[in-house]
Amino acid sequence: MSGRRQATSRKNSSRGAGANTKSTKTSGKLLQVHRRTAHSSLLRLLKTPASSLMTTFVIAVSLLLPALLFSLNSNLSLVLAEFQDSVQISLYLDDGLSKDEGLQVSNDLLSDTNVATAVYISRAQALAEFSASTGFADLIQELDTNPLPAAIVVTPSSNSPDAVDALVRRLQDLPAVNLVQLDSRWLQRLSAISSLLGLMGQVLSVIVVLGLFFVVGNTIRLAIENRKDEIRVIKLVGGTDTFIARPFLYTGLFFGLAGGILACILQGIVLIIFNSGLRELMRLYDSNFALSGLNPLDAALLILVGGAVGWLAALLASFRHIAAINP
Amino acid sequence: MITFDNVSKRYADGREALSGISFEIGKGEMVFVTGHSGAGKSTLLKLILAMEKPSTGQVLVNGVNVSRISKRKIAMHRRQIGAVFQDHQLLYDRSVFDNVALPLEICGYQPSEARRRVRAALDKVGLLNKERSYPEALSGGEQQRVGIARAVVNRPSIILADEPTGNLDPELSAEVMAVFEQFKNVGVSLLVASHDKSLIERLNYRTLVLDNGRLTQDAMPDTWT
Repeated sequence: MSGRRQATSRKNSSRGAGANTKSTKTSGKLLQVHRRTAHSSLLRLLKTPASSLMTTFVIAVSLLLPALLFSLNSNLSLVLAEFQDSVQISLYLDDGLSKDEGLQVSNDLLSDTNVATAVYISRAQALAEFSASTGFADLIQELDTNPLPAAIVVTPSSNSPDAVDALVRRLQDLPAVNLVQLDSRWLQRLSAISSLLGLMGQVLSVIVVLGLFFVVGNTIRLAIENRKDEIRVIKLVGGTDTFIARPFLYTGLFFGLAGGILACILQGIVLIIFNSGLRELMRLYDSNFALSGLNPLDAALLILVGGAVGWLAALLASFRHIAAINP
Repeated sequence: MITFDNVSKRYADGREALSGISFEIGKGEMVFVTGHSGAGKSTLLKLILAMEKPSTGQVLVNGVNVSRISKRKIAMHRRQIGAVFQDHQLLYDRSVFDNVALPLEICGYQPSEARRRVRAALDKVGLLNKERSYPEALSGGEQQRVGIARAVVNRPSIILADEPTGNLDPELSAEVMAVFEQFKNVGVSLLVASHDKSLIERLNYRTLVLDNGRLTQDAMPDTWT
């Protein structure tokens, strides 16, 4: 009892001491406040590992779907780019054309800006190449005349399907040209599939982001509901909505970042599974092609997007629900 | 510091909790408010804390019309008031120390400075040895004193207390009142709602008596008519 009385008598002397500390608030202090809030938010999430993990998993799976589509598409684009370098147009010339005339047509083509290279192949050359590559040399020697036409092999300077099409149409109109062959229809189809995949990825991303807003928003709403009494007390002693919202914003941010990281990991696992299946297929094609995973930049972007969506969803949800709580 | 100008409060259910109340509490003044339960004591305190808005009339705190304060500034308004609630309003998942530290945490105090102030406040109410306990482990009287420590920790210019001695034995009541008087002596305005008639008469401060929402007395108990 006497201790208590002593304490009360000490109180007056302790009063003025901290009077000027209020004015020494700095931005460093705010940083400290944020660090402490972040730390306690994280601890709170770790206190309920099962439900935190569940939410993180839902976010990760949502992020995984568009991420997979994007990476499949970028793999396909890589394949396409490889093949598109080898787009060639074969022009078969009129048999009546002499070698010099043929060379002249070939040289004229080089002045076209849409043509990168044009190589003339004479009838004799064509026959020689044909017999060398097919092994029908004996059979060909039996022939009286050379059945093969002279040709010019043109490489277009642009590989875009539209530009190639336009070039093909123009080449068909040349009087010296008998037949134009473009063996890249399949390439165009693949390219169309690639852009479809890209579009699907974009649409799915928008849907997923909207879905994540609901998932994170609802998680935050429940967290606020659970801590309603606490929020009421904090409001009574002068806590602003910003102060109350801060830990919830960190919760949203952490969920988003963790979801992004888990999505990267899941993506890696899925690609490993895909690749083991793909290896069989590629062996049949004598290729060692494999799907490549996210590069570090894409992975960082995925995690960042997760974090940003989590934070923003928490921002929208928390201020709305916190403002509704009145002491 | 606190001015009520012809204030009435009618709740949505039609009950009139306060009607035509006018009074003024100056700087460094300690005033009791008493009356039977339901007389309007709690409503009076809620109006000052901006938890409720008056139906008619004005409530001024430090010259500011409380009912005109924007939602954003209500928090700042409450920071200058230390409030002790009848039902304590403590956070049960935080230690006594963290409960008392809450107003300082909200204002962004350095942990070291906050620790010093929290200890000083707990010392004042005789609970320094309980700082690590959780409110649930404390008696009603101890919880009440935690609430008082929290109300004074930020050195507010106004202290409102709703039945602060309700759960305390006479000796502790006297100590709490001594703490309040110390604050009064350094210029803090206090409004204490209590129905402890003997305490009010013994201390003999200016007392507002409410009866069914009307102010029937505004004087020292020894001059009551």
